[in-house]
Amino acid sequence: MPESITLLALFEDIDPAANGIQKLRSMGVTDDQMNVISGIPMPGRVLGRPNAITNVSRIALVGAGLGMLSGVALIYGTIYLYPLYVGGQPLYPVPMGWIVTFEMTMLGLMVFAFLGLFVDSGFPSYTPKDYVPEISDGKIAVLFKCDSNQERPVVDALTKLGAESVKPAEARQL
Amino acid sequence: MSATARALPNIRPQAAEQEDPREHLMLDPKPRGEMNGMVLESMRSTGWRYWLVTLVLGFLVLTCFFYAWYYLIANGLGVAGVNRPAYWAVFLVNTVFWIGISHAGTFISAILRVMKIEGRRPFTRAAELMTTFGLVQAVSSVFMHLGRVWLAYWLIPYPNERGLWPDFHSPLMWDFLAINTYLLCSTMYLFLPLIPDLAMVRDHKTGWQKVAYRILSLGFRGTEGEWKNLHTAMNIFAFAIIPVMFSVHTIVSWDFAMAMRPGWSSSVFGPYFVIGALHSGMAAVAIVLFLVRSTMKNMKYFIRPEHFNLLGKLMLMVSMAWAYFYFNDYLVPWYGGDKWEQILRLFIEKGPIWWLWYVLLICNIVVPWLILWNRKWRSTPWLLALTGVVINIGMWIERYVIIPETLTINRMPFTWRIYIPRVEIFLTIGTVSLFLLLYMMASRLIPLIPVWEVQEGQEAHMLRKVGKAEIPAVSEIG
Repeated sequence: MPESITLLALFEDIDPAANGIQKLRSMGVTDDQMNVISGIPMPGRVLGRPNAITNVSRIALVGAGLGMLSGVALIYGTIYLYPLYVGGQPLYPVPMGWIVTFEMTMLGLMVFAFLGLFVDSGFPSYTPKDYVPEISDGKIAVLFKCDSNQERPVVDALTKLGAESVKPAEARQL
Repeated sequence: MSATARALPNIRPQAAEQEDPREHLMLDPKPRGEMNGMVLESMRSTGWRYWLVTLVLGFLVLTCFFYAWYYLIANGLGVAGVNRPAYWAVFLVNTVFWIGISHAGTFISAILRVMKIEGRRPFTRAAELMTTFGLVQAVSSVFMHLGRVWLAYWLIPYPNERGLWPDFHSPLMWDFLAINTYLLCSTMYLFLPLIPDLAMVRDHKTGWQKVAYRILSLGFRGTEGEWKNLHTAMNIFAFAIIPVMFSVHTIVSWDFAMAMRPGWSSSVFGPYFVIGALHSGMAAVAIVLFLVRSTMKNMKYFIRPEHFNLLGKLMLMVSMAWAYFYFNDYLVPWYGGDKWEQILRLFIEKGPIWWLWYVLLICNIVVPWLILWNRKWRSTPWLLALTGVVINIGMWIERYVIIPETLTINRMPFTWRIYIPRVEIFLTIGTVSLFLLLYMMASRLIPLIPVWEVQEGQEAHMLRKVGKAEIPAVSEIG
């Protein structure tokens, strides 16, 4: 059985990158064997790729729920533990409860959205990774796996479609 | 002259009306590498003017912020002009003022992102930075007013030695929660779109700087998954931070409105404060953009008259909305004819510092309306920045009228006493200086232009031929 290798193809522009991805697919490289690395967000439909899946909104929603619960606990729980009668107001003033509950819900939502980005993207991560610095200067990299015996035809095909370089991916310290 | 031309005497040649599309940043693209280089150069290259301004600001921060605060701590609040009944003095004026400044930063960024206004792209970060640094000044002013600042932890809502929790019925407690929520979320919102730019700087630096930016960029490469996660998180923040922003200044207004005092107890105070915050904050964005554009290298490419035009339009709209709310807040108590309200109004309009009231109306309404209606004027960076300075002077005075002046007149005439600020004047200068100094330091450390957002916008823009004209068109890529 041939060995699997990871290659990194570097493109100058979006169109050749999209064509390259299509070509790779026709040569048997599946979507989950590919990843695109770019200096600006490239939605799946631009490059003919399936949309990436994110869990950030789900995590944020959990945060909003927890935030809401802590808001309710602060406004009603503390008073339940230590009843304070203030200025003839009810012990459980609903309108005032909304304010604290709202702030805590939004805090939970945003803190968890932020943490969700970390969790889902694996941040922070300082281990060596497949990357070339030219990406932040606007190049588009297609990182893909293929059988070693396919390397030559794949390199030729992508070069013909406008790839600047197609090389074995090299994990490096970012 | 032909008959047609005579019938249309004001007609101008078509060519003269067509503007050069390259005046728009989105239609004047440069290679990403070049834009990166321009932004990195702006972080690296600073002239003598930069260092001179930094030196002056540093001196002002040392004397007017740190030394004046030390003097206040060492001698007690007696060295301030704080008196009975003007307890809150200029300290709270500064707090409300800086919270207001901080509002527009995040608001402009968030609302323009939500509405997909393309002109926002180059200046969102410059605006967002204001939020964090503005809130630092707001919180410092609260601490200054505490006097015994080492007991500041008493503000944190935790049970006291008798096991009693703080009273969450109190508007001051809502303030604590709202301001901290806003500070924390604004800082995260500033950081999110910064990650790809920090990664860009990391890729261009060497040595210890590379290590620092490597740590800050968290290992971001720009994979599909990372972009998707970032985009989703930024969307959540953009939508969620707008109501939080509204809530913060509404709650700040409730610190006043919940008290049954003449001049304060008003149901319109919430939206009036929010609009006031946007009024001063947007004006501050204009000032900051002008300073960034004129003092940093290559910024004229990124920040153009079109951006000042956009900001000028927003400032005009907000100024009109502010005038509307001010009139609302003025008319109803005036019509109501309450004795104490009338006395307060007489004090503000005809008292010993009557001129402040007229200055605030001129600065907040007359000047912006005279200047901002004209496209050419509002697109002129220095003029818009000058208008911003005038508006901010007006808004600071407005807070002064609302806080110490209004506090002076209460329902117990024997307590009335004119408030005259003392050490507070230096502390006010100190907070302004610290804000500017932090901004100048940040301009050396982080890219003030979100280059990836600019490039993303440029990819989405094109010129479309409609008949004889070439019309800018934008497609929604993201």
